[in-house]
Amino acid sequence: MSIPTELANTIVDPNAYANGDAVHNAFQKIRATWPLAKAQPDGFDPFWVVSRHADIMTIERQNDIFHNGDRSTFVAPREAEQMVRNVSGGEPNLIRSLVSVDGQEHRDLRAIVFPHVTPKAIRSWEESIRGIAREFVDHMLKFGGQCDFARDVAFLYPLRVIMTVLGVPPEDEPFMLRLTQELFSNADPEFNRLGKDATMQDGLQALLAVAQQLEAYFSEVTKKYRAHPTAHVNSLIANAKINGEYLNYRQMMGYYIIAATAGHDTTSNTTAAAMWALAERPDTLAKIRKDPALVNALVEESIRWAVPVKHFMRTATSDTEVAGQKISKDDWLMLCYQSATRDETVFDKPFEFRLDRAGAQQIAFGYGAHVCLGQHLARMEMRILWEELLPRLKSVELAGKPENTISNFVCGPKRVPIRFTVN
Amino acid sequence: MNKWRCRNCGFIYDEAQGLPSEGIAPGTRWQDVPEDWICPDCGTEKSDFEMEQVRH
Repeated sequence: MSIPTELANTIVDPNAYANGDAVHNAFQKIRATWPLAKAQPDGFDPFWVVSRHADIMTIERQNDIFHNGDRSTFVAPREAEQMVRNVSGGEPNLIRSLVSVDGQEHRDLRAIVFPHVTPKAIRSWEESIRGIAREFVDHMLKFGGQCDFARDVAFLYPLRVIMTVLGVPPEDEPFMLRLTQELFSNADPEFNRLGKDATMQDGLQALLAVAQQLEAYFSEVTKKYRAHPTAHVNSLIANAKINGEYLNYRQMMGYYIIAATAGHDTTSNTTAAAMWALAERPDTLAKIRKDPALVNALVEESIRWAVPVKHFMRTATSDTEVAGQKISKDDWLMLCYQSATRDETVFDKPFEFRLDRAGAQQIAFGYGAHVCLGQHLARMEMRILWEELLPRLKSVELAGKPENTISNFVCGPKRVPIRFTVN
Repeated sequence: MNKWRCRNCGFIYDEAQGLPSEGIAPGTRWQDVPEDWICPDCGTEKSDFEMEQVRH
């Protein structure tokens, strides 16, 4: 039985994600009646909608059977996928990054940065990140009791952290922020390059221009770090070799781009969503202020709550079966983290923001061999920000209506107006 | 011989197979895996994240 077209259209609609309730309501119905079923939104090829937490884990763990890179790694209309192939030499993705490669290539690429972002490796960054957090807390407090937490803090602090780790100088941060927003928020006229609703063709041309601008920037980065290698992540990418050869152009550009974009946008979205949640829940803020050890629970719950990556796609490499459903070779599957993070069979009262969910498996970072490479850094930088900010906040409340970015892929709040008092 | 699953990412450590690529010979019991070993998929540390026994 297939998912009704109306629901199928909703779960690919960027405006439904901006609305929030619209997409949550659609996934609630899907989990209840069609938890693993095919959908075909208008203009799209059919794909399986994987809505349950357990089924996503099953699929992500079998990364030899379910490939990331055989087709588009995010849900794209048929025409858009073909247009991407036309401009990328037949590849299904505009950018060849860690999330769009498989097998040995994925293992080799991941191994370049992995040893530098393990929990043990990032411990040495704790104090420097704490210094950045203090700087942004001071910056926020200077607003005198009212600010847009998304724009004034959440967009900027993770950006500074990741650019410091990558080796991008602070003067280039506005450029990196703008291009990240243009890349991930192409459906939102407020952020996309065209500044308006765009046709599919114009939108893709704009994305291509963004990718080319990023590539031009990172080509200079390669020259710089090959001439003068450092311990920064961009230097690791520039100088990495696989089987004695430097990464090829698309591998290298894809690596730089994913690190410099997904490396902060996801954390920014989560941080903004957490503040939104706290501003609506003074009791939760009071609990954390009373028991600072709850900051770790705040971080985990805000990642589940925000679910900054809404989905990834997989393609079956052979006939197989998941939860009793026969999946055929070449079938396309949408792993819906937006839904899995609200799976009632895993999370008690999933639409409540709670700090007592210890033990529940986090799914928002993905699972299996493609689990988020930067997850430990993301957790650490969010923990540090809250450790520095919350003891100084006496109260916080919304000072207007928050708004989400219009996107169905990587997104979160774009405006979180707050009013606050300090100790 | 047991298998152990990383709770963070689902990586399976199979005692029978060991991890020869990381210098851990086939037949190495979980308790004999070095304390500074980390999950090869997600970096979770042996000391910080419990591995879950999945079957005998």
